Amino acid sequence: MAESKLDLLQGTLDLMVLQTLTTMGSLHGYGIARRIEQVSADNVLLNQGTIYASLVRLQQRGWISGEWGTSSNNRKAKFYSITKKGRKHLSEDAAHWQRLSMVMGRVLAMQDEGGDQ
Amino acid sequence: MMDWLRQSFHRLRSVFRRTPLDRELDAELAAHLELAIEDNLQRGMPADEARRQALIRFGGTEQAKEQHREVRGVPAMDTLFQDLRYAVRGLLKSPGFTAATVLTLALGIAVNATMFSLVSAFLLRRPPGHEPERVAVVTSINPASGFLADANPVSAPNYLAWRGANDVFADMAAGDEYRTVSLTSLGQPEALPSAAVSSNYFTLLGVSAELGRTFRDGEDQSGRDHVVILSHDLWERHFGSDASLIGSTIRLSRENYTVIGVMPANFRLLGFTPQLWTPLVLTASDQTTAARKDRSLYLFGRLKSGVTLEQARAKLVTLARRAGENFPEAEKGWGAAVRTLPDFLVYDFAIRSALAVMMTTVGFVLMIACANVAGLLLARAARRRKELAIRIALGAGRLRIVRQLLTEGLMIAFLGGNMGLLLAHWGINFVRASMTFNEAISAVPLSLDSNVLLFTLGVSLVCALLCGLAPALKGSQTDVNTSLKDEGRAASTGRSHSRLRTVLVTGEIALALFLLIGTGLLFRGIFLIEHQNLGFRADHLLTAGVTLDNARYKDPSQQTLFVRDLISRLQQIPSTEAVAVASDLPATGPGTVTLQIKGQPELPAGQRLSTVDVLVSIDYFRAAGIPLLRGRAFTETDNATGPRVVVVNQEFVRRHLHDQEPLGKQIRLDVSGSTSEWNEIVGVVGNVKTHSEGTNDDPEVYEPFLQRPASSFSLIVRATCDPNSLSSALRGTVAQVDAELPLARVMSMPALIERQKGGDPFFVRVLGGFAILALILAAIGIYGLVAYSVGQRTHEIGIRMALGAKSPDVLCMILRDGMKMAAIGAAVGLAMALPLPKIFDALFYGLHLREPLLYFIVPAAIFLVAVLATYIPARRATRVDPMVALRQD
Repeated sequence: MAESKLDLLQGTLDLMVLQTLTTMGSLHGYGIARRIEQVSADNVLLNQGTIYASLVRLQQRGWISGEWGTSSNNRKAKFYSITKKGRKHLSEDAAHWQRLSMVMGRVLAMQDEGGDQ
Repeated sequence: MMDWLRQSFHRLRSVFRRTPLDRELDAELAAHLELAIEDNLQRGMPADEARRQALIRFGGTEQAKEQHREVRGVPAMDTLFQDLRYAVRGLLKSPGFTAATVLTLALGIAVNATMFSLVSAFLLRRPPGHEPERVAVVTSINPASGFLADANPVSAPNYLAWRGANDVFADMAAGDEYRTVSLTSLGQPEALPSAAVSSNYFTLLGVSAELGRTFRDGEDQSGRDHVVILSHDLWERHFGSDASLIGSTIRLSRENYTVIGVMPANFRLLGFTPQLWTPLVLTASDQTTAARKDRSLYLFGRLKSGVTLEQARAKLVTLARRAGENFPEAEKGWGAAVRTLPDFLVYDFAIRSALAVMMTTVGFVLMIACANVAGLLLARAARRRKELAIRIALGAGRLRIVRQLLTEGLMIAFLGGNMGLLLAHWGINFVRASMTFNEAISAVPLSLDSNVLLFTLGVSLVCALLCGLAPALKGSQTDVNTSLKDEGRAASTGRSHSRLRTVLVTGEIALALFLLIGTGLLFRGIFLIEHQNLGFRADHLLTAGVTLDNARYKDPSQQTLFVRDLISRLQQIPSTEAVAVASDLPATGPGTVTLQIKGQPELPAGQRLSTVDVLVSIDYFRAAGIPLLRGRAFTETDNATGPRVVVVNQEFVRRHLHDQEPLGKQIRLDVSGSTSEWNEIVGVVGNVKTHSEGTNDDPEVYEPFLQRPASSFSLIVRATCDPNSLSSALRGTVAQVDAELPLARVMSMPALIERQKGGDPFFVRVLGGFAILALILAAIGIYGLVAYSVGQRTHEIGIRMALGAKSPDVLCMILRDGMKMAAIGAAVGLAMALPLPKIFDALFYGLHLREPLLYFIVPAAIFLVAVLATYIPARRATRVDPMVALRQD
């Protein structure tokens, strides 16, 4: 099972999208999906289609906004960008995830020590 | 919270913007794929592979779309719309079924809404004024039990004492709500119901005048009290809504009064219907011990903030007990009752029990209607078993099926509710036109108000649930395999379907039986009352009400003089046989008093003997046609100077004297004005019914008018011709004696009785209508269900007959099933109806119903209907050619 990809935890995709938009600025759905795949070095199991559910959810919450525009190679696509509210939420959520992952790391390390004794 | 709201708004909006949103998503997904393909081409993939990889990475466009829809919208609402569309399509496909169910429910809902409009108008309407539930009404409790004995008015001394001593009310007001004044205009006197109220009455209630003002402090002092406030109705009817009337003078009971205000039309206190209000003046004579027996005031107190009704009640009970200790002669046994203004008005109007009976009846009608519709839906669901099975097989969840069937029930209930409202609109108009039997009732406006609308909505929802639930649950239990396999060739339909139908039919029979027995009892009661011997001869009697005003007839001797003069003049009118006056007309519910019999031990308060008490003039028994059985009637010598005498009725002798020799016995009545003297019984007369609308015989005492005159009484004239032809002569004669004295209610005795009973026959007719509606509905329902289930068994019957069963055998088998249902239903209904006579005794004052015969006739009739409903379809089934039956799909 070492080769299997990570299943996305509830809510993590939203966070990834927000982070991507913060660093990349305005981007269309495909671009966001590609970017996440690249950054995760293909460790994440992502059906690109699922990104659209995440996009509509974030839009309804007012964290991102979308607008139709033209891509670099002259294709019509819907471009998303993060809003002020979205940035605020991202900073809160990112802090939360960082703390959580830190705690998880420590807990798992502790178990290893226990196994040795 | 804001985020949640915002998201909900977006979600809700997207439900209604499905198409444009879907189109945009399609475009976005297409763009995504194109971008991906282009990317792949740039990385050097061949065209086919580029597209294939793009699609693989995307992972199912339909799934992505469905996910998108789920996130953006409200899936439950999407489903609801789908279900609604489906339900409408289904209902349109079978218009006959739809019409039958909708109409049945509409009838059930309409009668409920119509009756509820009465409840809303009489029981739920808030009295006018500021916070009426913080106003307490204080009444006395009469130890001599009788109709509304605990809503007896209070005496002036108690009012003054309680107003001063209580610490629970911020303010207290009093009203003598049932006075009569004569309004003279253009030389014609007219008797009008009026009220005399303390100057703070309107302020306490928190109402202000529509025009002018209400009373000011000090206007209840003698000398400043000649001011009057008119009701909107009187102002409109009598004075043509003339606004300049304020400040002008009108003539009331021989004195001039200045009109200071007109109350708004909505100032109405249910049973209190005065046309005008004058100040209540209390003088020194109203504080004497003698005045304690004159109980005519209703007390109103506004609770101090923080004080509960319970505390007020405790306080007033203590005060009443103290009065009883200090003035045992007048107050012994009398208590105090405290209710909120809304409660009191409804209680005093005494309509609650009649409305309860009505609502129960229409509730049953509705239940029968629901059972019918549920039966029809069930039958339909059975027909649709295969369709449901296919849908389940194709992946529809059971919950989804339940929801869909419930939606269908909701649809029918919704249509039925709307149509029901339309019918109720007519129903309410009809009831309004029929309920004119007394001023108080016709003064209450009936309408399809918000309460009724809300009630109808609630009822419709309950109907939807009742009708839809059974078929929905059954439908969801559909077994896919058997349903699909049996191809409609089942020897008999599913056991559970037929069991549920059996329950429905049995229930309908039980309800119909219950309703019929209930209505039968009421009809019988009314018949008994209409045809009972009242104990006097009502025919050829002309009656009229007289109220002598204080201005001219304050002194008892003046009252006596007037009566003597009037009677002697009336006797000279041609074709009069006898003339008399009485404090109460026979069978009109006279007041009761407590009494003591010499030689019998004095009983504690609350157990004291009580009797109906009437003051009558000399010729009364002859004029009314009440037979004198023993002793003598009153004579000229039974006057103020003579020894005090009374005449009693047979019931008095039986109940209070235990059939001992009555003549010569001494009794003492606890009444106002009498100086507690012993009265000797000089005669015994026949019983007169206390109420013409009841069957009660109560002990009665008659006192001679000359020994205890009263200012308010009725005239009775026995005529040898049509009594109505004497009414102008009667008015003329009264005018000769006193031109400014109006006569109230000049009408013949039979007309008066008719008016008095007015309400009951109307209620019973309406109830009868409902019961017949229920029977028709139940008969249709029973017939429909039985016919349907027999129809379902055509195939089975075919097999039986092909195997050699004779048609009488089959007929017997089906009839046996039907009879079993009828028997169980009838037994249940009978058990439910057994306590009915007792309940009616409690609800309808003075009605005693015991009709054992009814308990045989009604079940027999219902049984017959049920058997017929079984027999007709069963016969048809046995006539079917077995070959046809077996081939039937």
